[in-house]
Amino acid sequence: MTATVSVRLFGAFRDLAPAAVVELPLPDDASVATLRAALEAHGRGHWPAFQPGLLAVSVFASAERVLREHEPVPRDGELAVLPPVSGG
Amino acid sequence: MSMADALACAIADAAAGALPDPAVALRHVAAPGFGGTALFVGTIRDLNHGRAVVGVSYDLYDALALNVFRRACEEAAAAFGPAIRLYVAHARGRLAVGEVAVVVAAGTPHRDEAFRACRAVIEAVKHQAPIWKQEHYADGDSAWSEGCSLCGGDAHAAPVPAGPA
Repeated sequence: MTATVSVRLFGAFRDLAPAAVVELPLPDDASVATLRAALEAHGRGHWPAFQPGLLAVSVFASAERVLREHEPVPRDGELAVLPPVSGG
Repeated sequence: MSMADALACAIADAAAGALPDPAVALRHVAAPGFGGTALFVGTIRDLNHGRAVVGVSYDLYDALALNVFRRACEEAAAAFGPAIRLYVAHARGRLAVGEVAVVVAAGTPHRDEAFRACRAVIEAVKHQAPIWKQEHYADGDSAWSEGCSLCGGDAHAAPVPAGPA
């Protein structure tokens, strides 16, 4: 089965989509690595200013923690893609 | 007092007129048995990589940022407590040069634990928290800072250089 997940966009990715969120169809058992590939395909297809190199150094996260590449995408809460951070 | 009360984490919304407040931080970490207080205040610089900066906009993933702040405080309390009080606040939104972007304070019985805990928490905020800085330059241009990549999969992500720091 396939279902749509919403991924929040922050930092430089926020400039790519006015709503700062992207909807991606994903198989139910998709891993974070699969989500990464889906976002890259979406970016290349829809966003002229998309930087694949920035995605390559970004991580995916829930509201609780950064996700590992090989774990299943959690379906019960928020998802976000986090470019390199620069707080403080 | 409970450990939960001893640790305070906040996000200050500049659009609503709020900024991290060192006075609030100092009040939070004060206690009769604490003779040492360390305070870190991060402010907006007017120059970065040779370019004149007039302001900075901070974007945060609030929910995860607060979780990262809390975990950093809990780890510092485990390492340097249990007699410790900690405060962290970071700004969201657009700030001008000289305005306060981040405040960390640590109160402990003696100075060594206060300095070390304060340092540990500000390093975690800088390297592990989902916060992004967009600099606004005097020439009208703006750019997102290159930043540090987060490490996947745990709460102890270490910084990975991703260009000039």
